[in-house]
Amino acid sequence: MIALEAIGIDKHFAGTPALVGAHLRVRPGTVHALLGGNGSGKSTLIKVLAGVHSGDAGVIRVLGTHWAAPDGTARVARAAGLRFVHQDLGLFDSMTIAENVAFDTGFPTRVGGSVQWGPLRRRVAALLDRYEIDASPRTTVGELRPSQRTMVAVARALQDQEGSEFVLCLDEPTASLPNHESRLLLQGLRRRAEGGQTIVFVTHHLGEVLDVADDVTVLRDGKVAAAIVDRTPTEDELVELIAGRSVDRRRQGSSAGTEAVLTVRDLHVGPLRGLDLNVHRGEVVGLAGLVGSGRTTALTTIFGARKPTAGAMTLGGAAYRPGSPGQAMAQGAALVPEDRLGDGSFGQLSVSENASMSVLGQYWRAWLRRRAERRDTQALLTEYAVKSPGPDAPLLALSGGNQQKVVLARSLRRAPVLLLLDEPTQGVDVASRSDIYAQVRRNAAAGCAVLIASSDFEELGLLCDRVLILRAGRICAELEGHLATADLLTRLVQSSGPSQEVAA
Amino acid sequence: MSAVQLPGTDPAPVTRPPLGADIETGRDDVDTPPARRGPSRLLHRAERYTLLALLLAICAFFSVFPESAETFPTAANLSIVAGNQSVITLLALALLLPLVSGHFDFSVGATAASSSVLSAVLMSRYDLWLPWCVLASIVFGTVVGSVNGVLVSRLRMNSFVTTLGMATLLGGLIQWYTGGQTTTSNINPNLVSFGSAKWLGLPRLVFVVAMVLVLGWYLLAQTPYGRSLYAIGANPRAAELVGIPVRSYTARAFVCGGAVAGLAGVLLTARTGGATADNGTSMLFPALAAVFLGATAIQPGRFNVWGTVIGVLFVAVSVSGLTLAGASDWVNPVFNGAALLVAVALSSFLANRRGAGRPL
Repeated sequence: MIALEAIGIDKHFAGTPALVGAHLRVRPGTVHALLGGNGSGKSTLIKVLAGVHSGDAGVIRVLGTHWAAPDGTARVARAAGLRFVHQDLGLFDSMTIAENVAFDTGFPTRVGGSVQWGPLRRRVAALLDRYEIDASPRTTVGELRPSQRTMVAVARALQDQEGSEFVLCLDEPTASLPNHESRLLLQGLRRRAEGGQTIVFVTHHLGEVLDVADDVTVLRDGKVAAAIVDRTPTEDELVELIAGRSVDRRRQGSSAGTEAVLTVRDLHVGPLRGLDLNVHRGEVVGLAGLVGSGRTTALTTIFGARKPTAGAMTLGGAAYRPGSPGQAMAQGAALVPEDRLGDGSFGQLSVSENASMSVLGQYWRAWLRRRAERRDTQALLTEYAVKSPGPDAPLLALSGGNQQKVVLARSLRRAPVLLLLDEPTQGVDVASRSDIYAQVRRNAAAGCAVLIASSDFEELGLLCDRVLILRAGRICAELEGHLATADLLTRLVQSSGPSQEVAA
Repeated sequence: MSAVQLPGTDPAPVTRPPLGADIETGRDDVDTPPARRGPSRLLHRAERYTLLALLLAICAFFSVFPESAETFPTAANLSIVAGNQSVITLLALALLLPLVSGHFDFSVGATAASSSVLSAVLMSRYDLWLPWCVLASIVFGTVVGSVNGVLVSRLRMNSFVTTLGMATLLGGLIQWYTGGQTTTSNINPNLVSFGSAKWLGLPRLVFVVAMVLVLGWYLLAQTPYGRSLYAIGANPRAAELVGIPVRSYTARAFVCGGAVAGLAGVLLTARTGGATADNGTSMLFPALAAVFLGATAIQPGRFNVWGTVIGVLFVAVSVSGLTLAGASDWVNPVFNGAALLVAVALSSFLANRRGAGRPL
């Protein structure tokens, strides 16, 4: 018996194949991980299953019903028992859980149309209970912790289920969750699966896969690279399947010097209460902390996008008080912001225009030298191994990892003395990730001081010479990079009370 | 995602490749391999020139259509159309500058109308030397643009509402100052003759407009400032983080737009030989329609100068042809309105078609 099966799915976009004979077999009551690099076709496959896209060929079978992929619609998928939770959960933060749940199924109403709040709340309370969410229906979604919010979205998607006849598909449910929240969520999902729920989830985090998945399907270039049933693969095996090549994931040698490039003293702004830190020439320093700990605030303040209320900074030995990002850039700082779409890129503008935005002046000789601009962009695309249709394509036509490389290239082409990276590999596949790490390391080796904020603790352990733990608005501990394991960092960012664990 | 979230603008900066980015220099196409395959690239090219082709088709149609064949294709009519559209074209350019950065400026029509009144009054009541009058009008437009710019960029007021308020305010002031009277006496004859004289068979005004258009094109397409404005329009937060001084650049777009609107007012006085108490709204909508139509041509998906010019001519020629073919006055607003709706609909359709199969 198979809960969900997709056979021979083909899908083309404007002549470019996105899926070629892809297949997926999901056994009932299992957690099935769908893996693949950026642009490997996993999102497309999920969308074909959901009926958002109609496939060009293939058959989809769900719990006894089946249809040809070209005939798929959202309605057909839903009627067959497929339920989806997208990366953007589609929850309204300022509204209560009960309201959010009711937006999906409709509010129960009395004659005349007024809402029957009592029955709604009772039903939602039972739902929350069933899904082990410790909250009341009157709680606003914004008050929940991140893993609970995802669980609410799951509960909402599955609220009509009686028994276990639905197949739940989650698209990168942990992409924006910090490590321990991911763990909570995955444990919750695992328990659902033990209870008979069939779950398919898309992820970039291989550790998660090894922890919770029963079966794994790996896509590469629109084809199934491997379907692993009832066996736990090794992480290296997965990496190689996803990237199609072996990827060097060892720590690189340190290039840290002794001369401090950036010093921050007693910085107060937003959640930060007296931040002190140093970053040396050629050094890669990680900043670990929970969401809201002020990681992003620290970076944006150092980049001049926020004004500190108190504190002092120096850059390259001189006093540093940037009044705007422009001034920070003029003094040699560069920032790759966390929210690529919202803060980092100009989706409608071309790859070339995006890449040259930080150095526009150098192309201006009474007119914009577009030929030089395009040539340089082409060189950058090659150097950063960006897969793109070319410098003239809109940035949005690139996959997430490739967009991120363009944004990184834009910052690094100024040869900054201080590079600030905020979640540099969020939503980026393993192959691109190692490309990005290599670029960061190469710049560090050339003398650039790097400060990285990341909620991916494995990344910090892999990339950093030192990791600073940010808690309650200040640095509460510091670890040597090679000692910074994900487990230790998870413990440190969460532990409360004054601790001064400084590992030498 | 973009600043162009106001109703009406967001469909226009659609996600299309700015292949047109190279058209201004006209030489960059040669050495780059085609980014896309034959038919698709051809389609792209076709899309850029669709509006121009339509414009030519309409010209051809009215030249042979029996009702208008005698009058439409004459030099006289051509010159009338060109002359009449000179003010509208400048207004479209004035709208275009802030619109590229993601903001509406609905006050350009009223600014031009007030500037027209100002120049006429300075001549007829105060007998000021002509160059001073011209300068004063441009300065006036600049001041209005600065006020809009400060309100929108510094005080972060919604540009839609702010400039609509400014337009209403100026319209009211015109009413108050002129008492509803037209100012035609004692207008400097040099200005009036300039407004009606011709060079090479075209009204002289057309050459002034062409010069300003080239300046506008240069600013938007050939300077870092222009590129930055497009960036601000695409994503103001990202623009801030690549070091663009977003607020001052946005304010400057309003200032430039205001100056162009001020100049448009002088041309209006020159063209009509005086100033009416009209509030300028009737000039705003053809300009708006032209700008949006223009975003479907030359550089599809972007507000751009030459697309806008084609847009102006497209509307003007169509209305002229229809009028000569015997249609009544109501054709003008109906056609403008329809053109605006079609332009916006077309660009959202293109955006959707292109957006299919892509995240977002």
